[in-house]
Amino acid sequence: MNNEEATVYLSQFIGQPLRIHTDDGRVFGGQMKCTDKDRNIILALTYEYRAPSSDVIRKAVKESGNPSAPVNWNSRYVGLVVVPGAHVKKIEFEESTMSGQPSGVVV
Amino acid sequence: MDSGFLQPGETLEDDYDTLAPLLPEELIGIMDQLLCHEMAWHTGYPLSQTLFTSTYIDRLLWPGPKTIPQAQFYRGDITDDKKPGTLLDVLRAYCLALIKSCDYVIAKITARDYFEEEDFCTHTYNRVLLVQTPIDVFLRELDASVEMIEDPDVGIEDALRSAIITRLQFRKAFLCALDPECPLELLSNFWPPVTLKIDEMNRTHELGKTVPGSFSTKLQRRLASTVPPRPIVEVDFKDALQNLRQICTACEEATRFKDLPTDPLEYQSFLWTFASRQPAPLPYSRSYLSNILFDPYILNTPISLPLEDVKSFVFHESSVLDPSNWTLSPPRNPLMPKPPKLQFALLIDEFVDRVGQPYLDLWVALGQNRCRLRRMLTHVITAWDILQQDAAFVDAGIVTAAQQLNISEEVMPSPLLTWTYNKKLWMIEKIIILGFEQDIYLPDEYAGMYHFLSLIAGRRKGTLETCINHLSDRCLQFIDSEFHQTTGISAFAKALHGFYTIAYYLRLLPCPNRPFSTEKLRYELRMKPFLSLQPPEVPPFEEFEAVLQPYGSYSEPKPALYEDLKNSESKLWVDIDDSLQAAKDAFAKAKKYGAVKSKAGGVEQAWNKEVQGVLASCVALGVAVAGLKSAVQSIEPGGKAGIKMELPEAGNGKRYVEGWVVGKVAKE
Repeated sequence: MNNEEATVYLSQFIGQPLRIHTDDGRVFGGQMKCTDKDRNIILALTYEYRAPSSDVIRKAVKESGNPSAPVNWNSRYVGLVVVPGAHVKKIEFEESTMSGQPSGVVV
Repeated sequence: MDSGFLQPGETLEDDYDTLAPLLPEELIGIMDQLLCHEMAWHTGYPLSQTLFTSTYIDRLLWPGPKTIPQAQFYRGDITDDKKPGTLLDVLRAYCLALIKSCDYVIAKITARDYFEEEDFCTHTYNRVLLVQTPIDVFLRELDASVEMIEDPDVGIEDALRSAIITRLQFRKAFLCALDPECPLELLSNFWPPVTLKIDEMNRTHELGKTVPGSFSTKLQRRLASTVPPRPIVEVDFKDALQNLRQICTACEEATRFKDLPTDPLEYQSFLWTFASRQPAPLPYSRSYLSNILFDPYILNTPISLPLEDVKSFVFHESSVLDPSNWTLSPPRNPLMPKPPKLQFALLIDEFVDRVGQPYLDLWVALGQNRCRLRRMLTHVITAWDILQQDAAFVDAGIVTAAQQLNISEEVMPSPLLTWTYNKKLWMIEKIIILGFEQDIYLPDEYAGMYHFLSLIAGRRKGTLETCINHLSDRCLQFIDSEFHQTTGISAFAKALHGFYTIAYYLRLLPCPNRPFSTEKLRYELRMKPFLSLQPPEVPPFEEFEAVLQPYGSYSEPKPALYEDLKNSESKLWVDIDDSLQAAKDAFAKAKKYGAVKSKAGGVEQAWNKEVQGVLASCVALGVAVAGLKSAVQSIEPGGKAGIKMELPEAGNGKRYVEGWVVGKVAKE
């Protein structure tokens, strides 16, 4: 992809909902505002999601007796954030908020 | 690192169990700890480091409850054997009321007329503090808790029981007092019950047992914040109660505002005195007063408040403000000239419209903390400066109309301009005095700044004099009192200027080494807020320098200095003595009029204390001057006087009045 194509490709995501997985296991969901050559990404209206810890899962399973007991992810609103490119593991683009199924455009 | 990043092995969740049964002692301990956090928040710390570190509060607020029954220390269904017991229910009611109190405090502080409060943190980190729920729900919860605790079956010691009830009752009283919907005329009833409970809580604090585990910095990771967790703010219970008491007394004092006579000058005195309270009012108390001031009941008076102010200085019993002027209708034919009396009404209306905003700005500034008040006043005067120019146009219209009516005699030349100018000069005076109060000026600037103050007060004296000349004797009292106060300020500032000039020549004041600045640049910087004013208030530097250095440079004074110093009849000393005497006389005369006639009846005590303090400062200066005089009796050129100057520090009661710095002369 040359520079121009890359620019066009990336521009289409501006203002679109992205989900960014970081290397410490968190997921950030928000609207993409901009990015740079180091893959730093600015997200607006972002929520931070975190997988429940193994202790919590173990406890939930033990209490319900059901090995596939649902456990909620923790989330919190963080607003406008920069995700450092070095920590980005995976980027997902949410094509339709209706279906809720991320179609994996993975970088 | 960002606020959500966990160190290896660190957990997000705190393992404190909010459903574990509590001891009554622990309940008291947690309630008191929460109160400490609440007060820490009132003194300026963010919620994230105070109340939001409580696990109990966090459980109630997150995930956000839709209804109050949902706001529990757990979410969803749990088995009956895990349901919280009585004491936890009591704690829940207390916490809910506490959260609502915070909501009310934020509502009041953000309801003010300017955009931010610099001493207070209203951020709630995306938590909704039960905004929608009305107060009676919380009061009901508290009442129900009191009943639960009173039930003999609960089986707790009487002392603990009553300590818990006291805290619940305090919370109820405090919540009621904070309610922003409170009708104005009932406000003052709400604070005494709160104050009553403070002592009881203080007495029973020892019964409590702290539960440090119920507070955790980890909770900050779940707030909408990009700041990594910061330590919990620890405030001593004694200090917290002290702050609480301060809020109560200041708010109670503020409620007296509604009983003031409808007179903007009384309001002004009250606001000024409230802002000078020691210890300084906390942000909540200041907002509380501002909300009373800006209540429609206060502001919607039959006569415009600024106009009432104008009336006190100019137009006293003048036909310009005759109410019948407003009853005339304009001629049907718009080309016909309007009757002069109607012109008066229209001109005055125009001026009142114009003056509204600068006037409110002044009041908003008076509701700030002291430091900000000084800074804001420097901005307010520029608006008044423009207003002064506009006033000149309205004045021209008034004079023309008065000529048509043949009552030119009755109307003083440029009345509105005089009023605006007088008000502006008053503000400049206050800015300089506040500068002394807040130790903005260094000792080597004292002489210059007091000289400037003396100039400004002298000008205001002049404008007041023109007002007096156009008044009949009956309504003279207020203006006369004002005139004497201004005369006093001008004369006293002049005496201090002379005193510090001599002290500087004798090198009794510390003079820092300033290799990178010049006298002129520093002067420009100091006078910056006043440089753009019209007419110019700031004398040119050369003139200023000549006044400040009558005997040439401080390092190499002319020999005449030493001759004049030795001669107690020289102009140098006589000027100081005369000014001091004039100041004493003027303040004494103002004192005789008393607070009520000086339109400070609402704050009589403080007013008397102030005048008394200024008089005492005059006496102190007299003593200091005498000390200086005797020390230099036999001084040789370039010699030392063998004395030193002690400057009283600001803010610890060493000055009679904070804005008047009178040095003490002591033997070396």
